[in-house]
Amino acid sequence: MKAKVGVYVCECGPNIAGKTDLDEIITYLSEFRGFGDVELVVRKYGFLCSNQGKEYLEKEIRDLGLTHLVVGACSPRDHDSTFKDVCGKTQLNPYLYKIINIREHCTWVIDDMDKATEKAKSYLRAGIARVLYQSELFESPIDVNPDVLVIGGGVAGMEAALALAGENRSVTIVEKNDTLGGRAGKLRGFSFQEFNKPEQVEKLIETILGNPCINVFLDSEVTSVIGFLGNFEIEHVSLESKVITELFCGSIITATGADLYETTEESGFKYSESDDVYNSMEITEMLSSGDEITLRSGKEPETIAIVHCVGREELGYCSGVCCTVMMKTANMIKARYPDIRITQFYRDICLPPSGGQELYAAARSSGVNFVKVQSTGLSGTTVKFKEKNGDEGEQFFDMVLLASALVPSKDTPALSELLGIPVDETGFFQEAHRMTNPSATTTDGVFIVGTSQGPRNISDSMLFARASAGQILTKLLVGEKLVPEVAVTEILEAYCTGCGNCLDVCVYGAIYPDEARGISIVNEAICRGCGNCYGSCPSGALRTKHFTNIQLFREVDEALR
Amino acid sequence: MPKNGSVLIIGAGIVGMKAGLMLAGASKKVHLVEKLPIIGGKVIKNEESFPNMECSTCMVAPVQQEVLQNPNIETYTYSDVESLSGSKGCYEVVIRRKARYISLVNCIGCGMCYDPCPVSIPNMWEENLMDMKAVYVPTAGSLPNVPVIDSSKCLHLNGTQECNLCVESCVFDAIDLNDSDEVVTVEVEAVLIASGSGLFDLSALPNLGYGDLSAVYSPLEFERLFASNGPTQGELTLRGSDISPERIAIIHCAGRSEVGYCSTVCCMYSFKFVRFLLHKLPEARIYDLYLDICVPGKSYQNFFTTLGEGSTTMLFTPSLEDVCVTESDSALRISYPDTSGESRELDVDMVILTAAIVPDSDLPELARIAGVELDKFGFIKRTDEGSGSTETTKAGIFAAGTVTGPGDIQRSVIQGESAAGQIMELMSTIDGEKV
Amino acid sequence: MKDKKEKSSNSEFTPKVVGFLCNWCTYAAADLAGGSRLEIPSSFSVVRVMCSSRIDHNLLLTTFFKGADGILVAGCHPGDCHYGEGNYYARRRFAQLKKVMETLDLDPERLELVWVSAAEGNRYAEVVSDFTEKIRKLGPNPMNSSTRF
Ligand SMILES: Cc1cc2nc3c(=O)[nH]c(=O)nc-3n(C[C@H](O)[C@H](O)[C@H](O)COP(=O)(O)OP(=O)(O)OC[C@H]3O[C@@H](n4cnc5c(N)ncnc54)[C@H](O)[C@@H]3O)c2cc1C
Ligand SMILES: Cc1cc2nc3c(=O)[nH]c(=O)nc-3n(C[C@H](O)[C@H](O)[C@H](O)COP(=O)(O)OP(=O)(O)OC[C@H]3O[C@@H](n4cnc5c(N)ncnc54)[C@H](O)[C@@H]3O)c2cc1C
Ligand code: SF4
Ligand code: SF4
Ligand code: SF4
Ligand code: SF4
Ligand code: SF4
Ligand code: FES
Repeated sequence: MKAKVGVYVCECGPNIAGKTDLDEIITYLSEFRGFGDVELVVRKYGFLCSNQGKEYLEKEIRDLGLTHLVVGACSPRDHDSTFKDVCGKTQLNPYLYKIINIREHCTWVIDDMDKATEKAKSYLRAGIARVLYQSELFESPIDVNPDVLVIGGGVAGMEAALALAGENRSVTIVEKNDTLGGRAGKLRGFSFQEFNKPEQVEKLIETILGNPCINVFLDSEVTSVIGFLGNFEIEHVSLESKVITELFCGSIITATGADLYETTEESGFKYSESDDVYNSMEITEMLSSGDEITLRSGKEPETIAIVHCVGREELGYCSGVCCTVMMKTANMIKARYPDIRITQFYRDICLPPSGGQELYAAARSSGVNFVKVQSTGLSGTTVKFKEKNGDEGEQFFDMVLLASALVPSKDTPALSELLGIPVDETGFFQEAHRMTNPSATTTDGVFIVGTSQGPRNISDSMLFARASAGQILTKLLVGEKLVPEVAVTEILEAYCTGCGNCLDVCVYGAIYPDEARGISIVNEAICRGCGNCYGSCPSGALRTKHFTNIQLFREVDEALR
Repeated sequence: MPKNGSVLIIGAGIVGMKAGLMLAGASKKVHLVEKLPIIGGKVIKNEESFPNMECSTCMVAPVQQEVLQNPNIETYTYSDVESLSGSKGCYEVVIRRKARYISLVNCIGCGMCYDPCPVSIPNMWEENLMDMKAVYVPTAGSLPNVPVIDSSKCLHLNGTQECNLCVESCVFDAIDLNDSDEVVTVEVEAVLIASGSGLFDLSALPNLGYGDLSAVYSPLEFERLFASNGPTQGELTLRGSDISPERIAIIHCAGRSEVGYCSTVCCMYSFKFVRFLLHKLPEARIYDLYLDICVPGKSYQNFFTTLGEGSTTMLFTPSLEDVCVTESDSALRISYPDTSGESRELDVDMVILTAAIVPDSDLPELARIAGVELDKFGFIKRTDEGSGSTETTKAGIFAAGTVTGPGDIQRSVIQGESAAGQIMELMSTIDGEKV
Repeated sequence: MKDKKEKSSNSEFTPKVVGFLCNWCTYAAADLAGGSRLEIPSSFSVVRVMCSSRIDHNLLLTTFFKGADGILVAGCHPGDCHYGEGNYYARRRFAQLKKVMETLDLDPERLELVWVSAAEGNRYAEVVSDFTEKIRKLGPNPMNSSTRF
């Protein structure tokens, strides 16, 4: 069939019509013979984006039986979708249309009318030349599985499960420990926020266990993950019985928590098992279980030092919870043992708004001593410190409590590998976009929540969990299909040598090797069409469908004519 | 009322837009109400955002475009929510679309109407660092790129004199000086309040000189001063002159003890400012006068430490209340107590105050209209905040972003996404008959 | 390595420059420049790509072979790429390509990679004008039409 290209130039009032000689452009293009055996219909119109304009265009496409459409108007950022939608109402595939920006890139930036006219001609020619090489593309909706896998059953994992589980959506929690609850489960009696009243975690666990739409596998680990958003195949194994269970789901939430930093001698912390030095987890567990605070010798301590920011410098980040934990710790100890003298060696008091400021005030008024320091070290239970003004000091205490940083859990690297999600410079899982998409990862359908994404408190961990739930609830709708990006990349089998160069280039992991056929394949459900892989292929096998070389060459040809 | 699948979102900042797009993507009908003529919120005032120093416009403009083009989102710019009645699952909302005098349909944003207008007024969006006309878009690159007319300043509209200049200059017949407010009533199942926050009124701290001394800046003023699409095209020059400052002091925690909480983002944007300054004025001497460095989370502290030795002089003061900024000869003099409590002085050309983040001045009124309670700081209270819920004291009404308290973009977005999830949950469980 | 062309007679020469702009940042900056009515040399032609990483040796060399006097590739600032890391890849490919250009007797200065954010309308106009001026001084692409295809 002979191509019949419609070229419609929008006057945009004086913005285009007043700055170019439109009639000349139309005559010129109508008579232009550089495109071979192609029929050109070149027309102008007042405002193509107005409702009448759109109706006019729709009618033209239909009545004239256009095979391609070029619209000379404003920026694609303004109106590409407008005209795509118009095409969508007709026989014309929207990918056989192209908008040419002769306003922002021509009439608005070129003062000289003749020059602007020539430029508009050149851009329009480029558009016509390109559109002739564009191909029809179609949406291919995929079926999705609404079910969710949650790895890790701490507060974040549990909250995500609760927010998601329902009649039509089942959730599976795979927890490697023998109980749910994670870190907060161990801190029941201790919390700087209202949430964690002793019974609350308990209640959450009960609700989870009683929910028929939530399956819990304790003492289990995920061993295999394949698939992509909407269609994952999982295997998890019971650590005890070694029984492997298969599972299908549409999305995965990683809620594997964080570990506590361990001090080293190199960083100036020298003490042994027999010294009365405890990390924050140990002391808070003691406090929450209601045990006596005693020295290993059985005696009650008279002096306690609290050392802040343990690991902060080495790790390069502040965990944001330790200060608050230590205010609460000091207050709890003071409440039970008013005579114990407590000194806090701190660098900065960091109390993000979660009630921390009040705990701090309470600690100060109960007589806790605060010393601002630049650095700290330990020798047994003797604290060595350098004060803000440079003075160095040493002080012996009966007991030392360490506000240790939260660090990525030790399973993080393995999970990163298994799930195909990268970790960042701190070793925690990396977000799809740190600010605007922080609970998602570069692998669509895999989310990171709670302290597996970074150090934070309980309520923020749960908030993150709900955010991932929000993404899943709005993206993977029960009974509805998912429409992936259409203008994606493909690999031409005939050219691909299976060298694998392109595999590493794609940050989304959209390309995978087909070992049997010795080639690589793009999973079009994942690919975003950025075109990055294009340049990595030594054999020219990759083709970004809406940005092929020939399409761009033709544009360049006309620009340079 | 039968379920109609509609949601109201108040405020089109990053939170409102993100949540709106998520819900629209799930085939909900979203009514997005924004009081300003443009959408985007505070983030687009920043040239770059910490911690990645990413271009904010690049980050947000695609979101703005998507919102404006999404068929499931009805955006009401330059509009207010006048009343909100009903209960969970069934709210009736009255929205007032203020007269814009410019047709959102006909106007193509060519900007030909600005020049002819004889009235110049301070541009509030640009923190009054430049003027604009009575017919204006707040900033270059505004979205929607359609001006409004300030009816109190326009000569024609305030009755001062006959003027028709803008109308004559518009070849699109987009200007209608007889335009009037439009009141729209919609029914929705759920409401999300995402109307952001305000800045602490720095003039309440007379010792710091804001308002009296022209070289003392608020953080948003500084953001605009730095912005390449801002009043000076990004030239860092002192107010009313073309001189660049050589010595700049950033005073942290302005208002922290007055409001009673740490705003968590101020240290971060201070260090962002240090980067800005180093970038544009590499010779400048920079000082940070601080009490605590609060840089929680995995990516914050690094943002501070990677500033490097010598980039800024960190001056610790145990008592910010005793810091005083006064005029001295041609410069500003800061006096402050140092580590050991001794009084010291520092002469600089420019002072930037990192103001605490506080509830927006409109919030009490909005809260009254919506019937939701505020917390002790005046932000919107959430009933089950401890478990990360975004639901307010009124069932079916949610709140996310800095309207609930200070936070960075990440935290705001996370709250917005959570709210979207809770709204989906609510809408799937409401029993149409029950309401 | 410099082009073996006379430069003094170049004042009348209008260089043909092709700009491959990333959709998310620089293309938006170009729109902003348009909205602000800044002047852009009329010999500069924009070709939109989704990400600066889409450019490859073939595309750029062919553009030179087709007669472009200069090529500007512009994308998001490092770290800002809409697709994560595309612009880092673009940068790497660039370094390699500059070497190839030398072997082809093409002044590597004819090719430039810049980062222009969506807010930098003014800078966009400057970058384009400066680059066009630089190419004007360098003179026409030395590959004459007989060696082009
Ligand atoms: C000493 C201390 C005191 C604290 N006190 C408070 C407080 O009072 N208030 C507060 O708000 N916050 C407090 N926090 C922070 C709080 O503990 C965390 O914010 C919260 O527990 C994080 O929950 P989570 O679900 O992300 O991780 P976690 O609670 O750590 O849960 C992670 C779960 O994942 C499981 N898991 C790990 N790896 C795997 C794997 N490979 N496969 C399967 N499962 C796996 C773990 O077994 C665990 O059950 C404190 C932190 C510390 C260190
Ligand atoms: C100086 C400064 C610099 C900052 N820099 C950074 C940074 O670099 N990185 C970072 O992560 N964070 C930064 N932040 C924080 C960041 O600005 C906020 O996290 C973010 O803007 C919060 O988004 P939001 O949508 O909640 O509110 P906003 O962005 O404030 O949006 C709220 C919207 O609601 C509208 N609105 C208000 N009231 C009403 C009403 N009654 N009816 C209808 N609409 C209404 C407003 O006009 C606005 O458009 C900075 C903050 C400040 C003050
Ligand atoms: S929260 Fe406090 S103790 Fe923990 S790292 Fe930050 S400043 Fe140090
Ligand atoms: S086009 Fe981009 S997203 Fe698609 S396969 Fe190539 S690199 Fe991956
Ligand atoms: S780089 Fe090219 S040849 Fe190699 S695997 Fe990828 S598509 Fe095939
Ligand atoms: S109102 Fe008219 S003159 Fe003003 S920007 Fe809109 S279209 Fe242009
Ligand atoms: S009518 Fe009003 S807005 Fe228009 S030009 Fe006159 S004063 Fe300005
Ligand atoms: S999207 Fe702009 S450089 Fe990648």
